[in-house]
Amino acid sequence: MSKANVTKYKQLGFYLDQGGCTGCKACQIACKDKNDLPVGISWRRVAEYSGGGWSKDESLGTFKPNVFTYYTSVACNHCEDPICVRVCPTQAMRKGEDGIVAVDASICIGCRYCEWACPYGAPQFSAEKGVMTKCNFCRDFLAEGREPACVAACPSRVLDFGEIDELRKKHGDTADIEPLPDPAITKPNLVITPHKDAQRSGHGRGTLANPKEV
Amino acid sequence: MFNELPLVIFTIIAQMSVGSFVVLGLIHLFGARAGREVIDKVSDPALYAIGPVLVLGLLASMTHLGTPIRAVNALRHVDSSWLSREILFGLLFAAIGGAFAFSQWFKWLTPRLRQALAGLAALVGLALIWSMTMVYLLPTVPAWDSWATPVRFFATTFLLGSLAVGAALVVTADVRRRRAAVADDASEAVIMSSLRGIAIGAIAMLGVEFVVVPLYLGKLATDGSPATAASSTALSNTYGGYAVVQLVLVFLGVTLLGVFLSRLAKRFSTARLLAIAPVAAFVLVIAGEIIGRMLFYASYARVGL
Repeated sequence: MSKANVTKYKQLGFYLDQGGCTGCKACQIACKDKNDLPVGISWRRVAEYSGGGWSKDESLGTFKPNVFTYYTSVACNHCEDPICVRVCPTQAMRKGEDGIVAVDASICIGCRYCEWACPYGAPQFSAEKGVMTKCNFCRDFLAEGREPACVAACPSRVLDFGEIDELRKKHGDTADIEPLPDPAITKPNLVITPHKDAQRSGHGRGTLANPKEV
Repeated sequence: MFNELPLVIFTIIAQMSVGSFVVLGLIHLFGARAGREVIDKVSDPALYAIGPVLVLGLLASMTHLGTPIRAVNALRHVDSSWLSREILFGLLFAAIGGAFAFSQWFKWLTPRLRQALAGLAALVGLALIWSMTMVYLLPTVPAWDSWATPVRFFATTFLLGSLAVGAALVVTADVRRRRAAVADDASEAVIMSSLRGIAIGAIAMLGVEFVVVPLYLGKLATDGSPATAASSTALSNTYGGYAVVQLVLVFLGVTLLGVFLSRLAKRFSTARLLAIAPVAAFVLVIAGEIIGRMLFYASYARVGL
């Protein structure tokens, strides 16, 4: 694609069709590969949320399993009200004209305050570089007219990106799904078509099954 | 438990410094009758000790950073970030407090102006503790985002401030007693009445902690969200042993202060006990407060992912 055809974005966002996500983590690995991330840093992660137990079928007098598991692929949501930008003492964390929240590694002092604050675990500390690192929406790929690495890698075609207004027009405006936090905190630019067993943030009946991975 | 040690040292030292500064100010206010010269003589060494300790705390905070060489960048977002404000007030407190200490040492300016400078430093110091509190009131960290955080930070400020000053007063007096041939009755009187006030104030602050901490832990345990449950587990199970040690240390500190007060009232106490008790109480309580602050950081758990 030529440079002239590259879209100018007002506010980029991610979309996930949760029902089709198999939890394969191709997005996570594609991100790691593209950005050359070391062990311990994953800008995109896949949360596995599961729970349930047995329910009694009164008519038959039997017990049936009603367990559930669903996956949520999450990177930075380039929030409308990014708490990382608000609390950053250096202004290294900034929201660009395209809505992308990125960290300027030449200013960041590595205090890790954004890491404490972000409810999506997006800013991650690099001990080697001494600064914070995070998803930059594959800005370089976008400039070439390409998709972000995670979106391009999804074998189920359930991960997408685009202008957030258009994503919301097409898919609705849901982002309050466990184990994600209440969207009111940071107003994430994320749209999810919920899994059939998905539960609303703050009303979950399950637990995060892979806490070490996210 | 040990991973935020630089921040434990920084916050404890900064709070102790501000507390000491304010307590020394109170001694000047309440002891005015004894005359400025006597009070200055008794309290100046404690004042001069604050500076180096505070600088040490500020240096400790820099070792928390991934890129300490750029630490000055932390002042770039004062209009939005409480962390920037915390560092700004920390540096201002060090600068104004330092200016006061130097003018006190070299007798620059008039006593009135020096007093005004001290008052300003105390106000900036309290602003430092307030912004330090606000840094931890993150809506995404429920264990910290609680009324208990400001209460505990200010209780620590005045508790460690008063006990540090108490210890400094008796150590200074002890050194001078050994050197001097004649007893300095005017100074002794000021020291004794200051120590009485300090012991009563410290017991009151410990009382506040004894009430606030159980209430806070109870709230944390019954809240029910995954993040608060994780914090509660860290405090009462994973690191529960530390919490017990902290409780024992603080309890011993209170007991010691109580014994000290009762002996002070009887008037025939031994000089030895009067010298040792405030220092021992300070050591016990600061150890307890350090463990308490380590637990504070260990209780970190975030909502969401």
